Amino acid sequence: MMDVKRVISKIERKYIKNNLKKEQRIDGRGLWDYRDFKITPGLIASAEGSADVLLGETRIITGLKYDVGTPFPDLPDEGVCTLMAELLPLASPLFEGGPPNNQSIELARVVDRGIRHADCVQTKKLCIKEKEAVYILFVDMYVINHSGNLIDCGGVSALTSLINAHIPEGRWTENGVEWTGKYLTGEDIVKELPLVMTYGKIDDIVFADPSLPEELVSDGRISISVTETQITSIQKSGGTTFSFDEIQMLAKKSMEIGKQLRKDLDLLQYKTKI
Amino acid sequence: MVLLIKDEYPDKLFREDGKRLDGRDKKELRPIKMEVGVLKNADGSAYIEWGNNKIFAAVYGPREVHPHHLAKPDRGVLRVFYRMATYSVFDRKRPAPGRREKEISMIISDCLEPVLFLELYPGTSFEVFIEVIDADGGTRCASTTVAALALADAGVPMRSLVTSLALGIIDGELVVDLSGIEDKAGDADLPIAITWFNDEISLLQFDGKMDLSQFDEFLTLSKEFAKEIYEMQVATLKEKYLGIQENIEKENKNREDDSK
Repeated sequence: MMDVKRVISKIERKYIKNNLKKEQRIDGRGLWDYRDFKITPGLIASAEGSADVLLGETRIITGLKYDVGTPFPDLPDEGVCTLMAELLPLASPLFEGGPPNNQSIELARVVDRGIRHADCVQTKKLCIKEKEAVYILFVDMYVINHSGNLIDCGGVSALTSLINAHIPEGRWTENGVEWTGKYLTGEDIVKELPLVMTYGKIDDIVFADPSLPEELVSDGRISISVTETQITSIQKSGGTTFSFDEIQMLAKKSMEIGKQLRKDLDLLQYKTKI
Repeated sequence: MVLLIKDEYPDKLFREDGKRLDGRDKKELRPIKMEVGVLKNADGSAYIEWGNNKIFAAVYGPREVHPHHLAKPDRGVLRVFYRMATYSVFDRKRPAPGRREKEISMIISDCLEPVLFLELYPGTSFEVFIEVIDADGGTRCASTTVAALALADAGVPMRSLVTSLALGIIDGELVVDLSGIEDKAGDADLPIAITWFNDEISLLQFDGKMDLSQFDEFLTLSKEFAKEIYEMQVATLKEKYLGIQENIEKENKNREDDSK
């Protein structure tokens, strides 16, 4: 039942590596194949948008809540969107309870940056009255099962809950903000659909969507967020280096895989219809 | 929090036809769905949908105690962590656990301890993690019920299962299984849990006002409805093992066919 270990034996590392050299993965995938995504939108009745996303057996349930507050002084006509990630101790024996640690902060920040720089969340439409009232969106990712590559799963989960959102539409009156009776949904909130793709590296072999055993023996990894036409964020982590050629190749690869995933997942179908 | 739709309660909690707002009779449970073995990394796990409540529970153990000073030389320790997701309630909850979550964790831990043989596991701990991802009244009862299932799924020796539910008084009438609105706008709330090996009460709280005859009725009703939920728990556990048995039989049959 519990095949998650803190330390992977040398023999297991060798087995994973030798397979990768032959362009094979221990779970039968090719180097650039993704595990299957399974997406269930809107399962949380209390949230204003939600998504239950499985990437293989990695599972992240994200919910969206909103608040109406005052905008930042330097962006008086823009709403705010904040992401948070919680690595629940029920998801893996590797996780411990307590305040956010480096891993959960990295997960939230990498997903956040991919979305923030992509013209995804329509912050200008999330303004009710300049300098007075804007929406603050809280997108909270909860890791329910950890089976490798939390970042890509979290990226899809966060994006789907934004697409799935239905936020009461506000109007500015003398007495403050009032509900118009309508809701903001789908394209009122999101435009571009950024996807984040993570690659693991063992020695000089690079591969997409690392599973948990692969992640544990990897020397390092790199996450690249892309929209239809642009790269929006990159994060290299772990104690290894990537060559210039590798990075160029991965950037190109990300555009290709991103295009295919965006088509296959067709995330806009998860819009709330009211 | 400034929200555009206000969290308001209706004046009456019964409809014209005498039914409750969600269409239930006074003495009727919400629909309940249970599943075990839902989380692959845990030693045991369970998921419950009880009305709009959605709750995961996972069990890890027996394992080393962290921090070490909590270990007891003569017995194991049971640690329960009841937590609610920020988006599980109407107003976004702060991410850090509050006083309420800590109290409920303790209540559930005390409720489950009598059914475990902790004296057989000195120096170790069992950890039960409960995550409420959607809440709609009666989460502590649903959590206790699902935690017992997760412990059984983990193969932890138990004297029996534990079943919990809440009863209450709304608009002066005694009802079974309070929903979120009924809990907030109602007059009284009585969560109760039963340990089946001795048919005794392992969790009991009460908020509100009642007289002695109502209390007697509460206790009789609680046992009747807890039994109904208990049977669902047992059926859920059986279903898992029946599934495994079916798979083995199928595999054996395939093997026989292959060898022919």
